[in-house]
Amino acid sequence: MITLTIAWIALPFFLGFVIYLLPKIDRYFSLGCAIASVSYALFLFTTPPLTLQLLDSFGVTLLVDPLSGFFILTNALVTAAVILYCWHRSKTAFFFMQIIILHGSVNAAFVCTDFISLYVALEVISIAAFLVIAYPRSDRSIWVGLRYLFTSNVAMLFYLVGAGLVYQANHSFAFIGLRGAPPEALALIFLGLLVKGGIFVSGLWLPLTHSESETPVSAMLSGVVVKAGVLPLVRCALLVEEVDPIIRLFGVGTALLGVGYAVFEKDTKRMLAFHTVSQLGFILAAPEVGGFYALTHGLVKSALFLIAGVLPSRNLKELQDQPIHTPIWIALAIASFSISGFPLLSGFGAKVLTMKSLLPWQVIGMNVAALGTAISFAKFIFLPYQKQEEQGKNLQPGFWAAITLLIGGLVLANVAYYEAYSIVNIVKPLATIGLGWLAYFLVFRHTIFKLPRLLEQFDHLIGMMSLILILLLWRVLI
Amino acid sequence: MLKACVFATILCGFFGIIFKKNLVMKIISMDVMSTGVIAFYVLIASRNGLFTPIFSDVRNGNYADPVPQAVILTAIVIGFSIQALMLVGVMKLARDNPTLETNEIEKNNAP
Repeated sequence: MITLTIAWIALPFFLGFVIYLLPKIDRYFSLGCAIASVSYALFLFTTPPLTLQLLDSFGVTLLVDPLSGFFILTNALVTAAVILYCWHRSKTAFFFMQIIILHGSVNAAFVCTDFISLYVALEVISIAAFLVIAYPRSDRSIWVGLRYLFTSNVAMLFYLVGAGLVYQANHSFAFIGLRGAPPEALALIFLGLLVKGGIFVSGLWLPLTHSESETPVSAMLSGVVVKAGVLPLVRCALLVEEVDPIIRLFGVGTALLGVGYAVFEKDTKRMLAFHTVSQLGFILAAPEVGGFYALTHGLVKSALFLIAGVLPSRNLKELQDQPIHTPIWIALAIASFSISGFPLLSGFGAKVLTMKSLLPWQVIGMNVAALGTAISFAKFIFLPYQKQEEQGKNLQPGFWAAITLLIGGLVLANVAYYEAYSIVNIVKPLATIGLGWLAYFLVFRHTIFKLPRLLEQFDHLIGMMSLILILLLWRVLI
Repeated sequence: MLKACVFATILCGFFGIIFKKNLVMKIISMDVMSTGVIAFYVLIASRNGLFTPIFSDVRNGNYADPVPQAVILTAIVIGFSIQALMLVGVMKLARDNPTLETNEIEKNNAP
C-alpha cells in the first residue's frame, strides 16, 4: 500500500517528462495516467485510512482516506474527460504534459498533511496552471495567466510566513500544529488557502481567469484545481475544531457572494465561473461531507464548461435567439438539473447531505444560495433548441466521449448516498427549483442590471488580501 | 528588533506590489517580499544558536535549527522559477504594451 501510494504520486510527474521525450504517444500516456488515478481512488474507498511519514520526523506526511478519495476521483475523472475532449484537437505534446503535471500536483496537494508539502504542491499547481492558461500565447491569455500567477504567489508568501510561525510554536509543520500556533499563523495560512481556493472576496481573481481560458483549461481549473486550496481548509476544520466555525462562516459567505454575482451575469462562462465560487462555499459550509459535494461539483462543472465551449455564442441574450442543437441542449439540461439539485442525479444527494450537516445558523443562507443556483441555471434550461445538422457536424467525437464520462459519473455517483431518496428530501429541492424558475421568469429573465467589475481589477485583488487578513485575525481573536 | 526589520521588509514588498504601477516594479516588489519571508525563516532557524549543525568531534551546544533552512531552500528555488516565468510573460507583453503599466494592460486585455 505504501509503495503503491508513492508510485501513484510519482507517476504523473514521471509520465509528464516521458511525454515530452516521446511526443507521439502523449495522448495514450496521459489518459493512462488518469485511469490509474481513477483505480487508485476507487481502491481507497475499500481500504482503511493510511498515514504515511516519509523520511524522518521532519519529513513529508501524507494521509489517504475516503475524503481524499473523493477529491482524487474528481481529479482523475475530470482530467480523463479533458484529455478525451482534446484527443482529436491539434494540441501539442506540451499541452498534454502540462495537463498531466497539473493532475499530479493536484493529487499531491490532496494527500499531504503538512504545510510545506502543501506549499510545494500548490506552487507547482500555480506554475502548471499558468502554462496551460498561457498555452494560446495570445496577449490576453498571457495577461490572465500572469495575473493568476502573481495573485497566488503573493498569497503563498503570506502562507509561508504562517507556516514559519506554526513551526516556531510546535517544531513541526503538520496540520494539527495549528492548534498550538499563535492566531496570526492561522490567519496567514488561511489567507493563502482562501486565495488559492478562490473563496469569498479573495477569490474574485477566479471569474476572469476561468472564463477567459480555453474551454478544456477552464473545465480543468474549475473542476479540480481550485479544490486544491479547499481540501486543506476542510482538513484543518476536521482536525482542529476551533477553526470549524470560521470555515463554515466563509462557506456561507462565499456561497452567497458567488450566487449573487451569478444571477445577474449574462455571459455563460462568467456565470459558470461565479458559480464555482458559490459551490466551493457549499463544500466548506459542511466540511465533514464536503468530499461528495466536491465530486459532484467537479463533474458537473467541467461538463458545463465543455458544453459552454460548443454553444454558438457566449452571450445568454444572443443564445435566446439562436436555437441550440438538441443533443447539446439535452446534455446542458441534465448538467443544469444536477447542479440545481434535481433528484435522480447525484447533485441531489450531495445537496441533501450538505443541507443535513449544516448548523442552525447556516440554514437560511445556504437555502438562499440553493435558490440562487436554481435561478441562474434556469437561464440554461430555458434556452431554445432544435435539430441543427450544422452545429452537430462541427462536434468532434471526443466531445461526446468526455460528456458521457462526466454525466455517467454523475448518475453512478448516486449510489454513494442512496439513502437521500425519501419523500421529504425529494419535495424540498423540487420546491426550491420551482421557486427559482418562478423568480427567473418574473424577475431575472428581463433584468439588464450589471454588477461592476471593480473588485476584479488586479490592484484590488492584491489590496483585498490585506482586508481578508484583518477579517481573519478579527475572527480568530474573538 | 531583527524580527521587526524582517516584517518591515515583508510589508515594504507588499505595499510596493500595490502602489507601483509598472509590472516589472511589481515583480521586484514581490521579490523584496519573498526576501523578507526567507529572512524570517533564517531568523527562526537561529533562535537557539548560530553554529552550523555539522557532525564532528568538537561539540558546541548552540546549533542552528537545520529544518527551516532546508525548507526555505525549496521556497527560494520555487520563488526564483516563478519569477523567471513571470519575466518571460512580461517580455511577451512588452511588445504590445511598452509602458507595462498594469492598468493599461488590463484595459487592453479585459473583455
